[in-house]
Amino acid sequence: MALQYLASLSHYVPEAIMCLTMIVLIMIESSYDNNVKGSAKGMLFAAAYIGLGSTLILLLNKIGNDPQIIFTSSLVIDPFSNIAKIVMMIGTGAALYLARVSKDIYEEVKAEYVILAVGILIGGMLLSSANNMLILYIGVETLSILSYVMASLKKNDERSSEAGLKYALYGGVTSGIMLFGMSHIFGSLGTIQFSEIITLMKNLSSNDALILMPAFLMFFAGIGYKIACVPFHMWSPDVYEGAPLPVTNFFSIVPKIAGIVVIVRVTNVFFAGSDSILRESWVVLMMIISALTMTVGNVAAIGQRSVKRMLAYSSISHAGVMLLGVVVIGEIGNRAILFYAITYLFMTTVAFYITSFVQDHYGNDHFERFNGLIKSHPLMAVLMAVVMFSLAGLPPLSGFVAKFNILSAVISKKYYVLAAIAGFNSVISLYYYLKIVKNMIFRESESSEEVSLFDFKSQVIIAAFSVPVVLLGIFWEKILVVANGAKLFIQ
Amino acid sequence: MSGTSSLLSWILWMPMIGVLGVLLIPKAKENAIRFWSLINTAATMVLSGVLYMKFDNTIPGMQTALTIKKSWISQFNINYHLAVDGISLPMILLTSLLLFICILASWTVKKQIKGYFALLLFLQSTVYGVFMAMDFFLFYVYWEVMLIPMFFLIGIWGGENREYAAVKFFLYTFFGSILMLVGMVALYFVTGQGEDSFNILAMSGGKFKDLTVDLFGYALPFAKVFFIALFIGFAIKVPVFPFHTWLPHAHVQAPTAISVILAGVLLKMGTYGFLRIAYPIFPSASVYFSDAIAWLGLINVIYGAFCAMAQTDVKKLVAYSSVSHMGFVMLGLAAMTVQGVNGAVLQMFNHGTSTAMMFLLIGILYERSHHRWIVRPDGTKGFGGLYTQLPVYSIVFIIAMFASMGLPGLSGFISEALIFLGIYNRFTTITVIAVLGLLLGAAYLLWMFKRMFFGEVIEENKSYTDMNAREIFYMLPLCVAVIIFGIWPSPLLNMMKASVGKLVSLLAAY
Repeated sequence: MALQYLASLSHYVPEAIMCLTMIVLIMIESSYDNNVKGSAKGMLFAAAYIGLGSTLILLLNKIGNDPQIIFTSSLVIDPFSNIAKIVMMIGTGAALYLARVSKDIYEEVKAEYVILAVGILIGGMLLSSANNMLILYIGVETLSILSYVMASLKKNDERSSEAGLKYALYGGVTSGIMLFGMSHIFGSLGTIQFSEIITLMKNLSSNDALILMPAFLMFFAGIGYKIACVPFHMWSPDVYEGAPLPVTNFFSIVPKIAGIVVIVRVTNVFFAGSDSILRESWVVLMMIISALTMTVGNVAAIGQRSVKRMLAYSSISHAGVMLLGVVVIGEIGNRAILFYAITYLFMTTVAFYITSFVQDHYGNDHFERFNGLIKSHPLMAVLMAVVMFSLAGLPPLSGFVAKFNILSAVISKKYYVLAAIAGFNSVISLYYYLKIVKNMIFRESESSEEVSLFDFKSQVIIAAFSVPVVLLGIFWEKILVVANGAKLFIQ
Repeated sequence: MSGTSSLLSWILWMPMIGVLGVLLIPKAKENAIRFWSLINTAATMVLSGVLYMKFDNTIPGMQTALTIKKSWISQFNINYHLAVDGISLPMILLTSLLLFICILASWTVKKQIKGYFALLLFLQSTVYGVFMAMDFFLFYVYWEVMLIPMFFLIGIWGGENREYAAVKFFLYTFFGSILMLVGMVALYFVTGQGEDSFNILAMSGGKFKDLTVDLFGYALPFAKVFFIALFIGFAIKVPVFPFHTWLPHAHVQAPTAISVILAGVLLKMGTYGFLRIAYPIFPSASVYFSDAIAWLGLINVIYGAFCAMAQTDVKKLVAYSSVSHMGFVMLGLAAMTVQGVNGAVLQMFNHGTSTAMMFLLIGILYERSHHRWIVRPDGTKGFGGLYTQLPVYSIVFIIAMFASMGLPGLSGFISEALIFLGIYNRFTTITVIAVLGLLLGAAYLLWMFKRMFFGEVIEENKSYTDMNAREIFYMLPLCVAVIIFGIWPSPLLNMMKASVGKLVSLLAAY
């Protein structure tokens, strides 16, 4: 037994490193003098980056390894979860840099931000590997509790505190509902192990199926809440608005991708094998939820004045698009979701970076603040335009390819109407993405004075993050191979 | 023949070389940018000439010697597949010619020259992509990418209301292409995701006649549903009534050269889409819907003409006349007879040259007058007696106007006559009403001419100078084309005859 655990541990090195990093971070933070500014804590950031970097290298090395079930089958390390973890790590790394340079986040809480972000990342990693419901629940809670704190990081700011409280209240309720649902599932199936559930689901009595449906719904409430899909999205505008920009950036990437990944796994565990009435109703339900999520997110984004809020709402609609891949239940859908997550990471990061620098300079991030950016910072304006077009799904950018993959997954199941709804949502989203492009390029800046919004280093980083946005749109064959190999391991 | 086979790639990528060049030239050297763009388009024009020489009129369908096919995304069987036939060749030649002229016509652009020429050349490349791509995915990519340079060209260099026009144009076309995208992916799965699932040529021939598609519990015929999806996508581009509302805005706000490209080439991409994709892939549905297409075409002709008549802005007038003239193309397409489709393709080319002339002439006038009112909003005349002031200009204007009107001896006549010949047997009523459209066309053009060129010379018109050498130089090839193809259209007709015949015989089977 002990040997087995040791053997399991060898597959769990990335997570272990991240946990260690978190502890080291706390120790470093406490060793600093109280007067040191948050962004000056070089050691802290360096330690975080060393932890992230070494884990990233480890994960990249074992990306295609055979799936391993570890810790008495409570966790599964498969290529799918590896890629999801890589995406989340890059997202965290990017968010950390933004937090360091951003003025929207108080100097005295920057260190906390770093520690919390690493903690949330660990929760996300746990979630994406969960192979039984208990681990899943622990993952969700790790992610959530730290997120509540992070949302209220601007502790003197009323809106930020309100955001945190709201987040915590909603989150507490949905966690409870989720736990309740899990207990029902356990009650009717007699196990919490995913590997056993799969076999049980194949020959299910109709009585059990009747109990399971509401149980799944409650179970889904918990995860749906994390990715802010309709009707569990109410919290997100307030949280996204109230939280500092680097937090919003982080929230729209890491917890979202973790949530999507876990939905993919759960759906595949419960419904991949059987072709039951249960599956049918689940598919219909997910169709409605994804269509609503896309539409509500997009429609709400249209009226926003603040770019941050617009991006936050549009991230809801992107989650809806990713849910389309869940509807498909199968390899093709999972692959499309991974591809989408990868491209979404780069696009969102660039968009939030640029918005953050604009906001830091002007004090707010209304659309008008972007006026005339092409004159003062041509490169940044062009990159922002590229990212906006990519988010809207215009070829030959990666956002288009991602949407194309999702659409083809949906259409492979002949859900034409759903595909059309997704398409029209792209048109709606193009409207508000164009608003930024329009302001940046067609309009003159409000003041004629020379402004310098970006330092050189940040420009280089933004440019580096934009490269995949373009390249993945043209040479997506390679990444498709990777995503194709990233099979979900369920048995 | 390895040398000839990469010719299409050269034409497609030559403008991109131009873009790179423009980007490398420093901003301050404006003349260098202009001349480089001119040389680049000239080179493309020469290459298109070579393409014309290599083109074999007798082959129906694609020219195998010129076809290029390379794998792009092998998992989805997406290929870099370029080819040319008698329907796309006239469009490619037209694009090469118009872009060369547009560069000359843009000589006077003052604002951000570097960006302007780079985007213009980029646009040229994407237009070639649309006309050459035989892979549906590649076609779609070019179809969409084209919107980006257009958006900026209208939005940065356009008139007062340019933002609105650019956004409207972008959203409208994007909306249409989404339907096309869904149709494209549906076709991919229906054909079994195989080797040829994105191959436009391999999908043609009515293979989807008996399939059904399940929508909201109704089993609907696959071909009809997705024909409609493709139809809307293409119809927005043409634009077919009621999808035309973006066009007047885009045309009026766009700078001269962009209006020329928009009317001359971009509108043709819509009708080209019917000929290349919608018709061959869904022949049965095309025949089924041909009545509707004919009626929509007729509405375009009549409605466009009436709208044109009501305009007081001369550019808007010409924009609506485009709606009317594209209606004739739609009529020819609906006929599905040899004469009708030949007439439609010929009209696509001829309208490209004649409308280009009109827009260029309006641009020339605008550079002198800085307004385009035939009648100003306050009721006073914007122009008057130009004929006595600008003799050369007036002569060129008369040629363009008569060509556009369809006067015998000029190019518009031949194509319109062919279209009428083609549709008369099937749609007699429509033909009769459509001929009235010709009359209306003559009416609004002549009325405009009367108000602008005859009558008393108004004071501010006296200071206008006549066309300069550069302007005469770039109008000349179009004048020649309009006159030559009015008398001797056989070079064009020979080029398209075999390919059109193949398409018509495909449709005749249903």
